[in-house]
Amino acid sequence: MSAAEKMSRRDEMETLLPFYLNGSLEGAELEAVEEWLASDPAAMAALGEAEAEFSGTAAANEAIRPPADALSRFARALDAEAGPARAPAGQSWLAKIFGRVTAIPSGVAWTAAAALLALVVAQSFERLGGKGNDFEIAGAQDDLANLPFALIKFKPDAKMSDIAAFLGQNGLKIAGGPTADDVFHVTIPASTAADYDKLVGLIAAQPFAEAVAQGRKPVDGG
Amino acid sequence: MNAATETDRALVDRVAKGDRAAVRLLFMRHHARIYRFVARQTGSEMMADDITNEVFLELWRQAPSFEGRSEVSTWLLGIARFKALSLLRKKKEDWIDDDAAAQVPDSADTPEVVTMKEDKAAALRRFVDALPDEHRTVVDLAYYHGQSVTEIGEVLNIPVATVKTRMFYARKKLGEALKAAGYDRGWP
Repeated sequence: MSAAEKMSRRDEMETLLPFYLNGSLEGAELEAVEEWLASDPAAMAALGEAEAEFSGTAAANEAIRPPADALSRFARALDAEAGPARAPAGQSWLAKIFGRVTAIPSGVAWTAAAALLALVVAQSFERLGGKGNDFEIAGAQDDLANLPFALIKFKPDAKMSDIAAFLGQNGLKIAGGPTADDVFHVTIPASTAADYDKLVGLIAAQPFAEAVAQGRKPVDGG
Repeated sequence: MNAATETDRALVDRVAKGDRAAVRLLFMRHHARIYRFVARQTGSEMMADDITNEVFLELWRQAPSFEGRSEVSTWLLGIARFKALSLLRKKKEDWIDDDAAAQVPDSADTPEVVTMKEDKAAALRRFVDALPDEHRTVVDLAYYHGQSVTEIGEVLNIPVATVKTRMFYARKKLGEALKAAGYDRGWP
């Protein structure tokens, strides 16, 4: 017979009290403790003693203060173990900017989009005809290169059939893309700035469009 | 199973898929308790710091094989216990911790004399600290870490009956120490 088996009922109940207090007791042992607490006048005093031990143990543990910079040091150790963290797929700088554009009010969004456009178009023209571009831009002699265009990012769940139908109905053509950020270069068949704005606005209103930024826009009278 | 436990398990699932943010969340949630557990096991906060970091790196490595048969907190405590014992064995001969040494009561005062200067709560805290390691660990795991008898058995890799026996003797010693200090609790 083990020492545990030799315990008296009082000993057994005293042994179980810490587990009664921490809420982990269940089944027959929980019933036994509850019955003891309800029937033995000494039991409630014993419970009070166990509660005092509970407090004393908590205080002894809480007195140990972990270092404040533990998380940052662990993060460095994790990076050393697993290698430098990479941004999740689709979260390149351009995707992030597009995400922000779509998350802000439309008026502000278009201002931001214009700024983005300036950046992307400048890069595009710098790379014109070069190799290793994110997306193909037609050569300088190509008509497409002179056409108005917009930069469009489609929603991940967009249906290709919906996009193709919309493009066909409005005379739009995909001239390049997708880039690594899933941005497409779409020609806009517009001869005036008003027509261009109308078509770009129409694209932006489509349920499959996640973000639209203006590209080359016709200059009225130009 | 409560919501917090489910969230822990969900986080471990994310860690298994390589999600570093999830392991950082688990670190923030469990670090202090694991750190304190190891500090109490080893008597060294320096060792606790190293070992606790290792525990969470082990979580990162082992998350894909976590089967959810125990609570995440129990699993982490088990890893911590194993690592603490391994390091203690390795450094047994040459590790001297100043913090632990500073906690040893002045030999000029007997425990009774020291206790007379304190109230009962402070005395209890001192008596818990003074328990033999195997008894104090069971008390810590039950009272501070909220572990069940079965979970303590898993963490310490001992039978349930042994957990109960250790708890019995731990509480018996606490009662005797209190009685010697003038706080008779009526048991044992």
